[in-house]
Amino acid sequence: MTVLAWRLGILVVGLGLWEAVAAPLNPIFYVGPSALPGALLQMWRVPELPNLSEHVWLTLREIAGAYLLAVAAGLWLGFLFGLRRTVGRVYEPLLAALYAVPSVIWYPSLMLFFGLGPASKIAFGFLLGFFPIVLSVLSGVRQVPATLVTVAQSMGARPWTVFRKVMLPSMASTMAGGLRAGLALSVVGVLVGEILGSRAGLGYVINYAYGLMMTREYAVLAVIVAAAVLALDAAGALVEARVKRWAG
Amino acid sequence: MGRLGVLGCQAGSLAVLLLAWEAAVRTGVADPLFVPAPGAVAAALGSTVREALPRLGDTLLKALLGYALAVGLGVAGGLVIGSRRFVHAVTMPYVVACYGVPKILVLPWIALILGLGTSTAVLTATLFAVFPILLMVAAGTRDVDPTLVTAAVSMGATRGQVSRKVLLPAVLPSVLAGMRVGVVFAMLGVLLAEMFAGNRGMGFLMQRMAMAFKASELFAATLIVSILSIVVVLSLEHLNQRLSRWR
Repeated sequence: MTVLAWRLGILVVGLGLWEAVAAPLNPIFYVGPSALPGALLQMWRVPELPNLSEHVWLTLREIAGAYLLAVAAGLWLGFLFGLRRTVGRVYEPLLAALYAVPSVIWYPSLMLFFGLGPASKIAFGFLLGFFPIVLSVLSGVRQVPATLVTVAQSMGARPWTVFRKVMLPSMASTMAGGLRAGLALSVVGVLVGEILGSRAGLGYVINYAYGLMMTREYAVLAVIVAAAVLALDAAGALVEARVKRWAG
Repeated sequence: MGRLGVLGCQAGSLAVLLLAWEAAVRTGVADPLFVPAPGAVAAALGSTVREALPRLGDTLLKALLGYALAVGLGVAGGLVIGSRRFVHAVTMPYVVACYGVPKILVLPWIALILGLGTSTAVLTATLFAVFPILLMVAAGTRDVDPTLVTAAVSMGATRGQVSRKVLLPAVLPSVLAGMRVGVVFAMLGVLLAEMFAGNRGMGFLMQRMAMAFKASELFAATLIVSILSIVVVLSLEHLNQRLSRWR
């Protein structure tokens, strides 16, 4: 109870501070939270902004494409490197080295190669989402106790049964964590790509509002997108918790 | 397969990749306007290094500033949040939310208020790096075995002795892990800020190269930054291992 009260208190104080700081400042650069609900209601009908629903739909499709590619490639390479020990020993260090590079430096090259359209965003979202997935599958495969696999095989279990009944339960938690982190990063990749250079999509609209100094509209968009991302991640956390319970 | 064999396979794979790439450009499968051949990238490397070095120094300095801020805030905040159960319960949802929100959404606002200069990049770096550090340190502090502290206190250790001899060694691994993760995030933040709203630095240079279709120079610049960050991260890892041996 007191915890909840304190949490609420922090929120109220935070919003109050934000409002107090914003009040004497130029609304072109700094808007308070009290300006947001009104702007939110009119958001869909701001004549200066491009039509929102099309851009939201495009961004969602880009995220779906990027994430599906990341899952497919991450699972494939993760199992390949995890199950074929030699291949894994050769290529895992290369993967780890690439992961140490600040990912955003790939984006200009991707933009040059794929152009300003959706393809460069999908490629960047794929690249960001791919790493946590492949690394989680790799470490998941390593967690599978080798003796259990041997026992199951010696009792005549077929490869698919071994995978379903032995491997999957012992690696599911790790893999679910990686898949969730990959989704979050795919979303970030698509958004970053759209904001850095595009002609359509939610990030484009955000950048557009920023460029025209429509700070109120920009702030509303940023808050909505942030809330949507957090909601998506919360849904991912629920799924992850379910998988963990199933795997025990 | 021995260590040398692994290294040989890695070098061989890279060589095959580079050759295939060169062949793809030579035969016209890939358009050199967008994908320059490795030979062209190598040729552009010299001039790009000369152009990149001062900007790289600029970028690294900003990253270092933002990183120092993030380490200070993250370690201090993590220690407070991790050691007080009540503070942990109250603030954790906010910290996790801040960690989860894509920082790119706030970047336009920072640029509006602070302009296109150094402070925007530094603040972005701090914003990117502080939350992962804070979360790792908080988790590490929370997981310190309370019986160790109780034992030390019951043997008459003073508060300072408990902090130095018990808590510090117990928390150190998570602090170091957070610091290692934070480096990449700080560089990421600076480069992103420079690409979005910069007029100097490596990120700005790369974005401009992309806009001007200078493909060979852009690939060379990407290569330089990649190698630099890999070297930084690997040497930190090395340092980490030596420190853990000291413990």
